[in-house]
Amino acid sequence: MNERELKKVLLVAGVLLTVMITLGPVCYMLITALSETPDFLRPTKPLTLTLDHLLSVITADTLHLLAYTRNSLLISAAAAIISVFLASLAAYALTRLPLPRKGFFLGGVLALSMFPAISLVSYLFKLMARLGWINTYPALILPYVAWTLPVSLWILVSYFAQVPRDLDHAGRIDGASRLQILVKIILPVAAPGVFSTALLVFILAFNEFLFALMLTTDQASRTIPVGIALFEGLHGQIPWGEIMAAATITTLPVIVLTLVFQRRLVQGLTRGAVKQ
Amino acid sequence: MPILSDRTSSVAPRDRTPRLSYRDRETLTACAFVLPLLLFLAVLVLLPVVGTFWDSLERDVPYLPVRFVGLANYGAILRDPGFWDSVRFTFLFVAVSVPLELLLGLMIALVLNESFPGRALLRAVVLVPWAVPAAVSGRIFELIYNYSFGLANYLLQVSHLSGRPINWLGTKVGAFAAIVVADAWKTTPFVALLLLAGLTGINQDLYAQARVDRAGIFQRFVYITVPLLKPVLLVALLFRTIDALRIFDVIFVLTGGGPGGGTSALSMFAYTYFSSGDFGYGATASVLLFLWAVGFSFVTVRLARFREETL
Repeated sequence: MNERELKKVLLVAGVLLTVMITLGPVCYMLITALSETPDFLRPTKPLTLTLDHLLSVITADTLHLLAYTRNSLLISAAAAIISVFLASLAAYALTRLPLPRKGFFLGGVLALSMFPAISLVSYLFKLMARLGWINTYPALILPYVAWTLPVSLWILVSYFAQVPRDLDHAGRIDGASRLQILVKIILPVAAPGVFSTALLVFILAFNEFLFALMLTTDQASRTIPVGIALFEGLHGQIPWGEIMAAATITTLPVIVLTLVFQRRLVQGLTRGAVKQ
Repeated sequence: MPILSDRTSSVAPRDRTPRLSYRDRETLTACAFVLPLLLFLAVLVLLPVVGTFWDSLERDVPYLPVRFVGLANYGAILRDPGFWDSVRFTFLFVAVSVPLELLLGLMIALVLNESFPGRALLRAVVLVPWAVPAAVSGRIFELIYNYSFGLANYLLQVSHLSGRPINWLGTKVGAFAAIVVADAWKTTPFVALLLLAGLTGINQDLYAQARVDRAGIFQRFVYITVPLLKPVLLVALLFRTIDALRIFDVIFVLTGGGPGGGTSALSMFAYTYFSSGDFGYGATASVLLFLWAVGFSFVTVRLARFREETL
């Protein structure tokens, strides 16, 4: 076997393995959601498809799936907007204005993002309980903003650094304030980067588990990950069909979003970590 | 670019604001712009960490008044065999899962770096596990590991690798393997994409030159790819290590720390105490985990050299 053939064999094997590993569990989730019983892999059990699980998790009020979805969407969207706006302000200052010790600033913020969530969550619980905010949206939005600010800042700094300074100078000459320059010139020019940062923060907040677990006590206030982790179903046992149906309905939109904006997300994820 | 100094800027005498140079005013604006971010981080990250430190010095359990106990919690936790089990599990998990993820990630990155039909699609598909919440993928894997009808035992049986089904989540070794695999599935895409970005940065001329010098495919990998990828591999290693140290979601869903505390990673250990209302002891475990994570993150920040000129 010559080198070209060897390379081809390795490549085909790699592609097949990658596809099977990445999509296998997701397909398993889908099939279980559509299967009448979860034990369809048993040789004696034929696979019978049904939409019952999908319909029942949507219509059963006691499962709160729609409430989870609404909570998750609103909380993640609010966190993404606030996080990106605050990080834009800081990123503008770091790329355009004189500020002492910028490298130290960025490094310090990055270090904060590496704190384990468990070392914040008990105090946040006490804080939110004292404010009477347990089970409310701010109890999750505010920590999510703080938790995602370092990532937002790092990505936005790298995008803003690419916007030509001439645009700022033009704005200054026209008498625009710094805030106006940021909102009316930089943000529109860097819009693709700003959008991908917001999407990244949205997905991070959407997937977050520990804060959401500790800061909600009421079933209807849970987010999707907590709801699905603690899903009990309608009748005893582990209702695999319903769990997988709920998982499918709630994660499919995020998967589609990821597939569509894959290029932008990857750019955001790997920026900062890899020097271009 | 010349910056206007105090002497060149003319402040009108009737101006009531204190005399500030152009640069000073710019610095003030800059401070105002970073203030909201700093405020958020101070109140919702730094304050909670300090609060947790403080909690670890207290006896804070249900039905009893909170009392300052100094380092008593630390003394107790260091004598707690459950805590050391949890430390052992966490470090063993990091030692096994991080190299596995780097290896798998490198494999996927090498595949994605080749040109073949459908590469763009595969690059998108690879990101799917990253997008699925860990709590959700945890439940999918819980089903995969089901003793009587899960996919894992089905594959073992079909491939004749094991005569009897494996009790994945009910034994310590099985649960450890189960958690490592479930976590690797979720986190490998990030590693792969990071390494892919590093691979695309390697000058292709080097490979062409090596081919001229008759270096084989494995030689090119060992002598060109690996050394040039080292900085990115290091960053991936540190990111993954810090993340793996604080693993929680997958364990909460898959085993809840069981069987018999056998998979109680440090975050899970602390959470168990928090959820039973023992905030002092939970905080003590959190602080110790925090110190380890911060140690690693200092190394990372040191390595992620900042080039101020790009700002």
